[in-house]
Amino acid sequence: MYQETYDDEEFVGNIDVVADSYANADEIEDAGDIDDEELLLQAQAGVQSIPEQVRTFLGYLHRNLQSGKVNDLTYNYEMQFPRLSEKYYAKASWPEPQYVAALVNDDGLFLILYRELYYRHIYSRLHPSLEIRFRSFENYCDLFNHILNSDGPTDLELPNQWLWDIVDEFIYQFQSFCTHRSRLNKRSEEEIALLKENSQVWSTYSVLNVLYSLIQKSNITEQLRAQQQGGDAAQVAGEFGGRLLYKMLGYFSIVGLVRVHCMLGDYTLALQTLENVELGNSRALYTRVMACHVSVYYYVGFAYLMMGRYADATQAFVHILTFVSRTKQYHQRQQVDAASKKAEQMYALLAIAVSLSPVRVDENIHAYLREKYADQQHRIQRGGEDALDVISELYLFACPKFITPNPPNYEAEVVEPQAYQLRTFLREARLQLVVPTLRSFLKLYTTMGVDRLSGFLEMEPAELKNQLMVYKQRCRQVKWDGGSDLLSGELVPSTDLDFALEMDMIFIAESRVGRRYADWFIRNANKVQDLVVVLENRQKDTIAGKPKVDAVAA
Amino acid sequence: MSAVASSFVRPSTRPDEIHRLLTDVERYNPSNTVLLEDYLARQCANPDPQSNHDLMANLALLKLYQFNPEMVDTDVIRRILAKALISAIPGDFNLCLYLLSDEICSDPSITKLLALRESLERAQFAKFWRDMYGTLEEEDEDASVVDGIAGFDNGLRRLILAEITATYQTIPAPSVQEMVNLDEEAVVRLARENGWTVREGVISLPLKTENEAKALVINENVGFEQLTKMLSAANDV
Repeated sequence: MYQETYDDEEFVGNIDVVADSYANADEIEDAGDIDDEELLLQAQAGVQSIPEQVRTFLGYLHRNLQSGKVNDLTYNYEMQFPRLSEKYYAKASWPEPQYVAALVNDDGLFLILYRELYYRHIYSRLHPSLEIRFRSFENYCDLFNHILNSDGPTDLELPNQWLWDIVDEFIYQFQSFCTHRSRLNKRSEEEIALLKENSQVWSTYSVLNVLYSLIQKSNITEQLRAQQQGGDAAQVAGEFGGRLLYKMLGYFSIVGLVRVHCMLGDYTLALQTLENVELGNSRALYTRVMACHVSVYYYVGFAYLMMGRYADATQAFVHILTFVSRTKQYHQRQQVDAASKKAEQMYALLAIAVSLSPVRVDENIHAYLREKYADQQHRIQRGGEDALDVISELYLFACPKFITPNPPNYEAEVVEPQAYQLRTFLREARLQLVVPTLRSFLKLYTTMGVDRLSGFLEMEPAELKNQLMVYKQRCRQVKWDGGSDLLSGELVPSTDLDFALEMDMIFIAESRVGRRYADWFIRNANKVQDLVVVLENRQKDTIAGKPKVDAVAA
Repeated sequence: MSAVASSFVRPSTRPDEIHRLLTDVERYNPSNTVLLEDYLARQCANPDPQSNHDLMANLALLKLYQFNPEMVDTDVIRRILAKALISAIPGDFNLCLYLLSDEICSDPSITKLLALRESLERAQFAKFWRDMYGTLEEEDEDASVVDGIAGFDNGLRRLILAEITATYQTIPAPSVQEMVNLDEEAVVRLARENGWTVREGVISLPLKTENEAKALVINENVGFEQLTKMLSAANDV
């Protein structure tokens, strides 16, 4: 609420800026001396049609970009832009870049950035046509060319959130294009002809090339490695990597690559890519942008899930879900909205992981999971075809969009990679279903004959013995050991219920988990401490007579 | 429990050239397909289960196929899957599958491997051997699915034996014979090699962590990170 009133005040205080850019625009048009009067009129009308408040904003944004005021840009970008989009362009695109050009002295770089916002807005609110998709790609090429292929590093400075959004949107549009392209029955013949002609647009190689180039240009891998080994990142950063813009773009490209690898079904490469990104480090760079933080864990968790490492998947999801639920109030609304959407998906994936490989999770997460997915979890644990249906449903709600890296065969039926990935995942998950079913019976006994259990399960004794072996195998999982390599790990038992077979007799041993006193005390001590800090701050503010301040940590 | 052999660690047999390729953008260069295919051929010729499988290299090869469908060689994919089938790490096979597509999986030799994999995963070993070698008439056709993989049968037996010894303390010898597809004499020899005792047709397997079934009380471990917040607060006071 507080932010919104502040927002309006800002506008009131900047009326002179409006007048400024207004005058400027008129001058340019007058000086332009275009022969075609109609065009001029059209352009004028175009400029005139831009609401005053938006013109103010654009002028303000332009000046802040030129002077490199990153804090002001953050405000422009994170607060004003979404508000204006909501107010004037909820169902329309932002003003045509050609009209905006008149307001900003034809500043090329500004227009590239503006177009990026302009297209992004179309993608999020409207249905981008094939032409828009092509143009947006061209604009990205212009932007990355400016950043990567200038003689020296560019002087451009942008807030982290904006940089993250650029990389993230770039990949989103790539994925969206691939999906669009593969829906052949919805494409007209002209569109297909256009697609065939421009096969290099949004090609997988070009997208990977951008991401890898950003990583290489910034020396981010070297920087992270140096940091991890306690060295000085600045020493290996180089001319480009020393600038925050390059460093963050390089870093976000690593996270972006993880997403691309997952979209292509390459989960090992996804995790390998994160080798130098210290997971679990609360001061790692990914924590600077909430969406990036969430993205890292979503894709790590998903990759682990697909690899059948359910315990690791659970750990990743629980970690980030706890973070999201605890820090909601510290972030801007639209960031929280985006994170909440991803969080919902992660709860669904977590429900799968926890049902397939039961472990104890954080109390709050557990409570939410029960509230939302108790029925589904129960059905998964009962096993059978129904369990597979439930898993498929949760999975399809929560999985990333998969893509095929190449243009489809435009003459043939196209198969969606979504179904293929799901089926392959189910191959593994299906086996895991043996665990909860057998476990529920074994738990009741200390010794039991195979024939007796096979009677309960209505299964041939020979097949039961096979299933017991499957249980054994499924109860050992590779678990990440906390090192920098996310792929490595050790084989650990993942169940509390073990057994051995002596001929046809099952001997069962159940491990118990001791009460976690220390954990309980630590958590509550931390809670009390947080409370004390909040109260102290409030007291200090009251004494200083300050109004309530936003609690964003510096 | 033995230290786990990870599919992601560089095997001793991986040449530097391949290693560089895997850790670099060179992995996307289609002209490296031949290099990786040759490397796969070397893996297939090596019967030593400790050093004859390099999952990461094979995944990189599958990725090149994924990006360049015109280069796909189904026979290479068949051999990659057959190698993954006898890998000690159960997830390897699926990781390869994720990089394939419905189209590739509809190839008869790949379909056959998927069916074999299914019997293996479900520990239906007797069925597996039956499907694998089938009846005499079909032998020629079926053998081709794992053709050219040195030490395939033995690699597979190792896997199956690992599962048996993890589950059973005592087991009838004929069951073992059926599961590993060996005759009585060979199983007795196997028992001697592994130090099992055979008495009256019953094999006693040595106890290890997996087949011991001992109840434990799992106690909590307090990691240092859990205490950092408290300690820093104590420092402020």
